[in-house]
Amino acid sequence: MKSMTKSALALLPALLLHAGLPAYAHEISPQPPNTITSPGRQPSIIVQELAKRPAPVLSGKGEEAKKNALAFIDWASASTKAQDGMVREMIAGARENADIVMAICDEAFVKQEVDHSRALVALSLIGEAKSQIGMECLAKFISQPLPEKGTFAEGEILEQTALAMLQAKAIDGLAYLRNEKADRLVVEAAAKSPSRIVRAEAIAAYLWNHNYDAKSQEILKSVIQKDEVIFLDRLVKQADEPKESFNRKLATYLKTHPEVAPPNAEKAEPKPKATVGRPPKF
Amino acid sequence: MKPFRTFIIGVILAFSCNANMALAVCNQSSASAADSDLWNTHGCWQAFFLWSYKAYDQRQSDWNNRGWNDACNVNLEFPKHWNAAYLVTYGLQDNNSFSWHGTADYRALGEAAGSNFHSSLYHDAGDTAGLFGSFTPHIFGPNELTTYCPLYNATSANANPGSRAGDFMHEGWHGWLQKYNWNNGSCGGHRCGTPGACTAKDACDYFYFHGVGAYAFGALYQTDGTANRFHSPNQVQVEFLCDVADYPKSWVPNSVRLAARSDADARASARFINGPGYKCGNPRPW
Repeated sequence: MKSMTKSALALLPALLLHAGLPAYAHEISPQPPNTITSPGRQPSIIVQELAKRPAPVLSGKGEEAKKNALAFIDWASASTKAQDGMVREMIAGARENADIVMAICDEAFVKQEVDHSRALVALSLIGEAKSQIGMECLAKFISQPLPEKGTFAEGEILEQTALAMLQAKAIDGLAYLRNEKADRLVVEAAAKSPSRIVRAEAIAAYLWNHNYDAKSQEILKSVIQKDEVIFLDRLVKQADEPKESFNRKLATYLKTHPEVAPPNAEKAEPKPKATVGRPPKF
Repeated sequence: MKPFRTFIIGVILAFSCNANMALAVCNQSSASAADSDLWNTHGCWQAFFLWSYKAYDQRQSDWNNRGWNDACNVNLEFPKHWNAAYLVTYGLQDNNSFSWHGTADYRALGEAAGSNFHSSLYHDAGDTAGLFGSFTPHIFGPNELTTYCPLYNATSANANPGSRAGDFMHEGWHGWLQKYNWNNGSCGGHRCGTPGACTAKDACDYFYFHGVGAYAFGALYQTDGTANRFHSPNQVQVEFLCDVADYPKSWVPNSVRLAARSDADARASARFINGPGYKCGNPRPW
């Protein structure tokens, strides 16, 4: 009897919650999403103002350089396609400033596991700087071993893929330097990086930076994995390439590589019907 | 004193067993630079989310503890979801000479309404760390499109508006396959194992190469039933990401474009049996 009283007491709140609160909840219809923030301006006005935002100064030494470099990353990150020329010009102008380049490099390392998109921005800027200090930074970045443990999703380790994507961006910067030492690192990555993502980018970046000439094709062909030779002919949709030009390249690619033609898709089994009707009358 | 203690235990039990009060486990403490940069272009446009929650058929019960009532807090999942929807709705140039497909295609794929692209669906969110998205057909009522933590946690490579919207396309295309009864493989709608040139596992597709301009804007759903005119989920995703990276509206921030390109290129080199797929844009660092 005592234990029955105990059980009743323990169940009482649950009964009350399920009998009382849900009944009350049913009386309230779902509400639209909400905020306490007051309505702002139209985006069409905001983007016009953002486009006029001046670029921050990218100079200085020591702590000032660090502060300016971080502000520049913020601005470049939010900049638009129309401002690409300005970003490129400014970062090239700072290439001899070791404090600036190192501050951006540090940000790439700091943010690689915190904010992937900011790390991508930082690595892109270092690559565009085309500097000796930047080269050392990028070389260090691609030498980081890819994690072999982590979150497994859809056949990949997310942390491994994330670092490989950043290393691919670092490879773009190394290839853009177009000097012997950096080229050696790019070719080595094309051959030996444990990630297909990095190898593929190394091949693409090396070829682009050497105008797809026969010599660079030969160099890569002699070192890359045999089953990745097709990456030498990979279709690249160049920025602002007219469709006629791309479509011609595609036709040539499919003719040269008939093995990439996929099989026809197959129909699935017929869908089960939602109902099979009433059972026969007894 | 003892009955009181029993009563308190009962209160705790009652609340812990109530599914509606389950807390989300995705990290909602920060937003990626790409999310914040895009967010700053609209500054939390309330008219948009009051439209988009209906366009994407998002329900309060699914998004309650994910920012439904704090829809201007970009750290939370519901605001991040509509930030991606904003990119799909307004962010593309739709250039006939360059873009793979148009806003009409991508909107119809991502949004909830039944159309030539898929039967009606609704968007919810899940707390799994090991999935990007899923498409679950329902016999009764709309199908379910779920997006998971790796598309929201700022530390993840895919937690940016382009990749998140790219997943709307990917899962939406599973809806297309389901609507027209195509078999794209028995491992979650993909080919099993790591066949051909694909390096992912149980997530591989074929790439059905086509030229620029092969599909009029709005006609992505079309097929002639052969490999000449067909798409796979990963391919639709790559083409969308390339359009974001290369042919966005003039105001789309560079962080969004860089992240989209990085995702497209990684996916194009690793997810296709007859790969690699197209590489989008030049490999110039900036």
